[in-house]
Amino acid sequence: MKVTIGLEIHVQMSEAGSKLFCDCKANYRGFDVNTNVCPVCLGLPGALPVVSRRSVELALATALAFKCEIPKFIVFTRKHYFYPDLPKNYQISMFERAGGVPICRNGVISFLDPSTWEWKTCRIRRINIEEDPGRTVYEEGGITGSPYALVDYNRSGVPLLEIVTEPDIRTPRDARLLVEHLLLMLEYLGVANPRLEGVFRVDANISVNGGERVEVKNIGSTLDVEKALNYEILRQTKIREAGGLIERETRHWDAMRGVTRPLRHKEYEEEYLYFPDPDLPPIAITGEMLEKAMGMAAKADLRALLEELPKLNVSPEHAWSLLTTRPSLELFRKTVSLGGDPQLTARILAVDYKGELREQGKDPYDPSNWPPPETVLELVKLTISGVYTYDTIKGLVIPALASNPRARLETILPERASDIDVAVEEVLREEVKAVRDYLQGKTQALNYLVGRVIRKIGRKAVDPRVIREALEKRIKSAMGAGG
Amino acid sequence: MRRLKQAWELARDFREGVEDPVEHAYKVLEAISRWEGVVNAYISLESPDLVVEEAERVARGIRAGERVGKLAGLLVSVKDNICTSFLPTTAGSRMLDPYIPPFNATVVERLLGEDAIIIGKTNLDEFAMGSTTELSAFDPTRNPWDPERVPGGSSGGSAASLAYGGSDLSLGSDTGGSARLPAAYTATVGLKPTYGLVSRYGLIPYGNSLEQISPMARSVRDVALLLDVIGGWDPLDATSLRVDKPRTFTASKADPRRVTVCVVKELAEGADEVIERAYWRILKRLESEGVELREEELPIASKALPAYYTIAFAEASSNLARYDGVFYPMKGGGSSWEEDVELARMKGFGREVKKRILMGVYALSEGYRDEYYVAATKIRRVLRDEVLRITRNCIIASQASPILPPRLGERLDDPLKLYAMDVYTVIANLAGVPALVQPIEFHNGLPVGIQWMGKPLGEEELVPLGLLVEELTGLAGVVVG
Repeated sequence: MKVTIGLEIHVQMSEAGSKLFCDCKANYRGFDVNTNVCPVCLGLPGALPVVSRRSVELALATALAFKCEIPKFIVFTRKHYFYPDLPKNYQISMFERAGGVPICRNGVISFLDPSTWEWKTCRIRRINIEEDPGRTVYEEGGITGSPYALVDYNRSGVPLLEIVTEPDIRTPRDARLLVEHLLLMLEYLGVANPRLEGVFRVDANISVNGGERVEVKNIGSTLDVEKALNYEILRQTKIREAGGLIERETRHWDAMRGVTRPLRHKEYEEEYLYFPDPDLPPIAITGEMLEKAMGMAAKADLRALLEELPKLNVSPEHAWSLLTTRPSLELFRKTVSLGGDPQLTARILAVDYKGELREQGKDPYDPSNWPPPETVLELVKLTISGVYTYDTIKGLVIPALASNPRARLETILPERASDIDVAVEEVLREEVKAVRDYLQGKTQALNYLVGRVIRKIGRKAVDPRVIREALEKRIKSAMGAGG
Repeated sequence: MRRLKQAWELARDFREGVEDPVEHAYKVLEAISRWEGVVNAYISLESPDLVVEEAERVARGIRAGERVGKLAGLLVSVKDNICTSFLPTTAGSRMLDPYIPPFNATVVERLLGEDAIIIGKTNLDEFAMGSTTELSAFDPTRNPWDPERVPGGSSGGSAASLAYGGSDLSLGSDTGGSARLPAAYTATVGLKPTYGLVSRYGLIPYGNSLEQISPMARSVRDVALLLDVIGGWDPLDATSLRVDKPRTFTASKADPRRVTVCVVKELAEGADEVIERAYWRILKRLESEGVELREEELPIASKALPAYYTIAFAEASSNLARYDGVFYPMKGGGSSWEEDVELARMKGFGREVKKRILMGVYALSEGYRDEYYVAATKIRRVLRDEVLRITRNCIIASQASPILPPRLGERLDDPLKLYAMDVYTVIANLAGVPALVQPIEFHNGLPVGIQWMGKPLGEEELVPLGLLVEELTGLAGVVVG
């Protein structure tokens, strides 16, 4: 079966600071309804758009990260359609014809399949910068039944990237991996925080065995990208097996029910009346802008990042885990630069600490859930010097640290050797018989002594091997001293 | 016909304590109450009490020796497509009756910053689409020089308010001649600035790539005074030029021996005989003063009008899409959102506006875009290059209007005749160059104007020439009565 998939991915530049054409906030979440608005993003007559430099810089960095052809200047176009959440009834966007010039053409994305460590590629047709519309809320009855709609314009004017791929993708899983990888790149570029609610939407075009292409709109998560496309393959295959024909159509992904549904057929061709926005003169892409964007793009070269780690003896699995959880990668780098052993640092951060955060239901992408590098370095040192076994660090220290990453290590570390020494001393004094048994060759007597020491310390947080070592050492030295 | 003190002289005399702003305010208010019933220059007027209060405040400030702004005590009328947060802004449309914007246009902020008193909002063709000010939802404005005739448009209200003494200065807007045609018809002065010299922030858009807010007054120096206040870079308008504020007010009259005027055949011919004669009379007069006259040609001028209307309608169809009954006063009252939009637009827009939207949509449609919109932008580029070439070395002398002010209703029935009134003015908008219209004489009591076109940012050459012409005609400060 031959499957051809192309994607159209809309991602909000949530980290751009301001909206695309005004000073309202790009991240509109948490605002009261219709409070992140101004005359510009409400499209009031006479208000004029002024392009945010930051948005262009971020888009340019993205274009460079995808190795796009960069035009000498970019031109915004108006795309007209009537919709209640579109205050001007046109969207300021880009278009490759009618005088418009998008920020990127003919790029490529390389994405990793982490189960085979194979890099795959997909061509990027173009990238547009455009403004997000407002948000329509339908009360009882939904879009068809509701007697009215409410519109929140907090989102209106938020900068969006519209990234359109060529139909180079062969499987739904690859489609998901591509989107995941793309979002990761945008995170490293500082363009978007992929975990924000509603920060991206995917429309997928899919054709099975040379059939007509079907567009599936409104996919809101990476898992749903795979699910929706698998559903479409199944649906289209069944129709064809039954002798039916696949019509060219647009369908809607219903994530709740896990099915795609047909959208109403349009009786006419879409007519967007594109023309260059006369309020926005062409923006020249200067050498200075390119230089800055190149610096930003370099930080999102995930392949380079991923290849740098194995040189430090970090396994590919650990490297990928660090990479996909950006705060852990930064912490890794800082710890290693302070002198931490890379392999052990990677193991602590990429596997056990991250796992513990998940266990405790804490967000691994929130840097404040990670300890300072000095703390991690200390853990590495304690392990290597043998003060604690790794099991102790993993079983006792990491959980305590994960629940309180800013804690001083002393307060959560189990008993140190010196504390153990006092207990050993006491036990040896009290358990004369057991010591004698041990000296006479009853090795199990030592286990008894270890147990006594543990009880004396009164905490489970001690590695028995450490106690055993301490006991043996102390008995041996006592023998030597006593003659 | 009477002559009033020029606004800049008034402002100076207020500052020097020679004239009293309060007394002046009463005089202007009196003119308004005498003329407004006939002329209908204003859509909304500031309350007289408030105007007097403001004038008193200025007078007190001057008496106390405070520093006051350049326009302190002057009464400025503002076209009703320029946003004011303290007076309704209707753009002459039922769609926006009554709409009070939550912000002031940049130019309004600048007026207030110089202590101007904004006396009211002037009438216009709906959304500035017209050349006669007959197409307002708030009744036509009449020409004070002959109330049976139109004052020109679309800034007819601004021009009329000046012509009867109902304001000292006025802000119009000019998309294809909308400030200059009314100036020609009312013996006032209108200056369409270089595109980008004056911020459009707060101007309700009609043809964004063409239009400029334009100073209007009864003399060239008054227009210069107003231009200097409103001009200069505005970070809120991406099309505004990053240039220093203009300094035209202090310019002196041009030395005729150092002026070259180009007579562009296509812009000199085609007008009614009386107008053509007036045109040549003033040019000959200038020549006798030492001005060099040169001949030039601009063959592409014949394509300017269709190119202009295609671009303006296309932009208008886009700009007016936002009026859908959601934010703005005119509500559809339908049973679905689609019906709501349809009804709001059906009831809110006048005939001419609907026609222009339809033609604009047509010009931008897939399959027609290249033939119309794109073709028009190509003509525009060629024309701009030609105009820039000519104006590099001379100031173009052009007719302002092919006809004397027509009677009300006379042009309305024939849209092509209506549009042809703009034949001489649209060129400056297409090319983005500055153009000044000023009166040169009266014919049977009706004003005749002339138009000067300069190079980009050539306002500082147009004003001195205008001052020279004004001296020859003696028509500075004229009002009816």
